[in-house]
Amino acid sequence: MILFISIGVAVIFGAGAYLMLKRDLIRVITGMILIGNAANLFIMASGLRRGYAPVLPARGDMSDPLVQAMTLTAIVIGFGVAALVLSLVYRVYESHASVDLRRLSRAEEEQAERDDAFEDRDIPFEELDDDLTELDPIAETAQQVVVQR
Amino acid sequence: MIALPLAIIWFGAIILAALDGTRKPAGYLAVGVLAAALISSLVLGVDVYRNGSREMLIGGWEPGIGIALRVDIVGIIFTCLSLLVLLTALWFEVSRDVKARIFPSLVLFMGLGLTGLFFTGDAFNFYVFFEIAMVSAYVMASYGETPRQFRAALIFIVVNLLGSVLFLIGIAAIYHTTGWLDMVMIQTQMPLLAENPAILSATIIFVAFSIKLGLFPFHFWLPAVYTGTRPAVAAILSGALANIGSYGLLRFGADIFPRELHAGAPVLLFLGAISIIYGGIQAIGRHTPQEVLAYSAIGQVGYILIALAIGGEAGYAAAILYAVLNSLNKVLLFLAASLRGWIAGAAFAVGAFSVAGVPPAGGFFGKMAMFQAGVENHRPWIVALIFAGGALSFVYMFQLYRNRFWVNQAPDEATTVGALSLVGLLAIGLIGIGLWPEPLLALVQQATDVLPERGP
Repeated sequence: MILFISIGVAVIFGAGAYLMLKRDLIRVITGMILIGNAANLFIMASGLRRGYAPVLPARGDMSDPLVQAMTLTAIVIGFGVAALVLSLVYRVYESHASVDLRRLSRAEEEQAERDDAFEDRDIPFEELDDDLTELDPIAETAQQVVVQR
Repeated sequence: MIALPLAIIWFGAIILAALDGTRKPAGYLAVGVLAAALISSLVLGVDVYRNGSREMLIGGWEPGIGIALRVDIVGIIFTCLSLLVLLTALWFEVSRDVKARIFPSLVLFMGLGLTGLFFTGDAFNFYVFFEIAMVSAYVMASYGETPRQFRAALIFIVVNLLGSVLFLIGIAAIYHTTGWLDMVMIQTQMPLLAENPAILSATIIFVAFSIKLGLFPFHFWLPAVYTGTRPAVAAILSGALANIGSYGLLRFGADIFPRELHAGAPVLLFLGAISIIYGGIQAIGRHTPQEVLAYSAIGQVGYILIALAIGGEAGYAAAILYAVLNSLNKVLLFLAASLRGWIAGAAFAVGAFSVAGVPPAGGFFGKMAMFQAGVENHRPWIVALIFAGGALSFVYMFQLYRNRFWVNQAPDEATTVGALSLVGLLAIGLIGIGLWPEPLLALVQQATDVLPERGP
């Protein structure tokens, strides 16, 4: 039984990890939910003992019930977070008209370029003039032309 | 008495969830609730400082069955620090107009999660409070509601949820191997455990906290999130939420897994060193303030990790001191960089000096504690590394200062008197710590007595 549960946890976790590497956001979220559920199964398994019933039996011994309370708490938290993430994905879809990660990362790059341009803007001319004319041959020749005229 | 700060924030958060947070009175009510919680935890802190740790069982259950709230000096330091950070950031945002009705309530819920996490003596309860703080951070990351903030929030959730799941698996593994969730009982059972299961759970939990902290191999989410979110949110994430990582590493590393921490020290030293160098070099190459500060944050947590790996009294003292000062620096810098004018410039310069570890600012004592820990353990390369890291941070901080406050002096319409005075007060506080550090040092010294002693 321990082997079967281990294989179950491993398969669910692996499937979740595989889905998380996809480009489609819905698959990424599904992968996250699967990994969360693999963790829940893992907690359940951590309280099982060989020869003991998992829930209250008519007779005989019962394994640790505390893990079920822990799993229940974890399921509730996972459910809440999953709802939150899905609503966020919807807002991302609304604002980008796409749930493709390539599209989102392109938007991120464009934003970074705009930011850099914004930070480097309108540097006062007085602070640049001397250094730049020495370094920049085009500016130098342009200045010479002006002087000659 | 112990539950009082928790109760104040809890009820405050629920009441504020029903109010419209964009209105000023509601915003200031939230500020008042946080201030009340901060004062009550300070009172509790004085009590803990004089009379030692306090313990309380929730719901009047018998010891061994009930869930314990346990307040020691390490927990109360981090509680007061986080509440102070949240209070500053919330006040800052209220004085500049809150843009979403839920924001003040979210800050309170995060305060609840953090306070509970620093107070709890139960590993699973730690996870529950941790999730309360994380879920409010997830919502908070999208505060501002532009496409960019939605992207930032999405990255933040996907990566940090994975961290939370890993932490949950770690807790389950600890429970299975020791049979306890109570941290003190786990601590007594741990030495009896075989080496392999213990080191496996320790590694899982280390990775979970490193993701929260943004240490080198797990840092990839951090720049995108800190750049995308609004300044007040970035200040909260780096000043308050990141405390989960440093506190968690201290609590689980020093308290529960001292043997594994000792065994893993070379790895931690290596990761910490790479974090410092990588964060510093990346920060020099960046232009926007939030991006520079994000990479700076990656570098700064490296120091905490190194202090933890050195261990012993000097190492733990350095780790706590550095975590406290780093939080204050980050809040000051994120907030000041979003303002304009000479007051903001001066405050930013104080924060920059503090990060670089230049004497009048408080950060000097963080760096000095690190030096001391390095020298006491006869590791000259750590001293050299801290010096190199300080030089790197000096370069990127003043590069940023020049771009932000000397070259581009266009007026910013969102700079208000309230925001400026808050930032100014924080800067004066940091200089105050630098000029009169004895109270903080005494507090940290006593905190190291709580953590178990470990030979180098």
